[in-house]
Amino acid sequence: MTGAGRPLFGEQTRFMLLLITPAALLLTLFQVVPIAIGANASFRDWALYNPKKTWVGLHHYEAVLSDPEFLWVVLPNTFIFMILSVAGALVLGLALALLLNRPFAGQKIVQTVLLVPLMVAPVIAAIMMRWMFNDQFGIVNAVLEGLGLDGQPWLVERWTAFGVIVMTDIWLWTPWYTLLLLAGLQSLPREPFEAAAIDGTSTWRVFTHLTLPMLRSVIVVCVVIRAIDAFRTFDIVWTLTGGGPGRSTELFSLYAYVLAFLTLDFGRGSAAAIIGGLIILVVGAVLYRVVDRIARV
Amino acid sequence: MAMVKEPLLFARLPLNARRVLFGLVLFAICFLFAFPVLWLILTSLRPESGVYYVHRGTEFTLGNFVEVLKDDRVVEAFANSALIATLATVFSLLVTVSSGYMLSRFQGPAARTWFGTIYVFRCVPYISWVLPLYFVAQSWGLYDTYMGLLLPHIAVHICFFSWLMKGFFDGIDPSMEYAALIDGCTRWGAFIRVALPSAIPAIAALGVLCWLFTWNEFLFALILTGNRVPVITVVMAQFVTEMGMRWNLMAATAVMALLPAFLLALFGQKYVIRGLRL
Repeated sequence: MTGAGRPLFGEQTRFMLLLITPAALLLTLFQVVPIAIGANASFRDWALYNPKKTWVGLHHYEAVLSDPEFLWVVLPNTFIFMILSVAGALVLGLALALLLNRPFAGQKIVQTVLLVPLMVAPVIAAIMMRWMFNDQFGIVNAVLEGLGLDGQPWLVERWTAFGVIVMTDIWLWTPWYTLLLLAGLQSLPREPFEAAAIDGTSTWRVFTHLTLPMLRSVIVVCVVIRAIDAFRTFDIVWTLTGGGPGRSTELFSLYAYVLAFLTLDFGRGSAAAIIGGLIILVVGAVLYRVVDRIARV
Repeated sequence: MAMVKEPLLFARLPLNARRVLFGLVLFAICFLFAFPVLWLILTSLRPESGVYYVHRGTEFTLGNFVEVLKDDRVVEAFANSALIATLATVFSLLVTVSSGYMLSRFQGPAARTWFGTIYVFRCVPYISWVLPLYFVAQSWGLYDTYMGLLLPHIAVHICFFSWLMKGFFDGIDPSMEYAALIDGCTRWGAFIRVALPSAIPAIAALGVLCWLFTWNEFLFALILTGNRVPVITVVMAQFVTEMGMRWNLMAATAVMALLPAFLLALFGQKYVIRGLRL
């Protein structure tokens, strides 16, 4: 591909490899090696109180996969969270991108305000929400009571707490969608839209027949990336509820963390981490296919 | 552009009413989006006695910020976060720009393998490699050190940023580089003197993102550091459990942690928006 007139083939290969050497080295040292060590640990009885590291085969995998907590709370939570958070932020982000895609006075200011959540650390976002949804002193309950409604103990019940977590995540990631989709919208060719306007096509038809199909590749990329990221969400759950009440809002990352660093069972924690990694690799591959096919219609 | 035409009901209203309605909707959206941050700022300005009824009362004070900054641990955490975010950004850019350039300019088995590798590792959840990295860091003596936190932060962005960088370089016509090669420039010369300058907007965008991501990162620091290298996100999360009732101090710390990110994003916004076209 790289044109003619280059002196030596060997020189080109050397150049190519040198370009990726630092990245490959770092990737190996800090991702490949740890994953290998984690895989090794997952087959051993590796705990703080039992440093013998005896080989136990698939015992930890069986334990995790037969743990009702993992099967009936953590996995459903993780997938429900993933679906709600991705869908919510996509719809909201697309709506805002369409809104920002036309010129109006003060557009720059609106755009800046809408991008605010992008720079808020998830930990800070979680702290803010925790304070706003505080059952005694939070503003949300104060407003509800002002309206004559009853305040809710938001973070003390499973599904309201889960709702607050999902909402926080949507708030955090909507700007990301807005940004990418807006860039996509602005790079679309104008002619088809002008033609549609001349033909008097309805707004909804323009949206479903022109805008959406033309944005397909951007949407696919957004959804796949965000779904994979949503699967590993840790910070906001840790700070908002700590997985509580009880362990009812734990997501996968938190489950593995609790096993390894609070229960101090590194073997089982590593097994959980590997299981999660495998699940997301499969989900990622399937998702890519499905979303790509849906978007193509 | 005629891309978004108003719905019928909306279109029937007189122009002025339409403008007002549109303005109101915009204002409501902006308000909802900014409200959590505004509320945090308001809370941080309330004295201890008024913090539980932020919406009433009119007393305001900057005392919370002063009190938080008296805590050496908080100051140290800010310094550490800033240092690590800056170093991680510099090194991460060095590593990923060249890797993205390789992905964009070469085809064949090596480039395909590398692309596949970074795609797979982009999908691996952080916990799956940071959890065992805890053992690795301990046995290499990197646990709770600057290096032990900095290196994983550089490593984590390799996949995503190489991929974004490839996209940027794909958008730059390589014929200039060929011309430079024919004129006797080395490959490194063509890369550094010809390709890099035209990629500067993209590099700026990645720099802003990288700094923000590192500044905001929590899980790595939680697992890979103890007491010797406090960073701001971990210190704040500890506050929630340790002094969960003192919301005014909590909010003041959070506002200070927001400030650098906010300033950076404000100035970097145009680069990010221009640079993020997929």
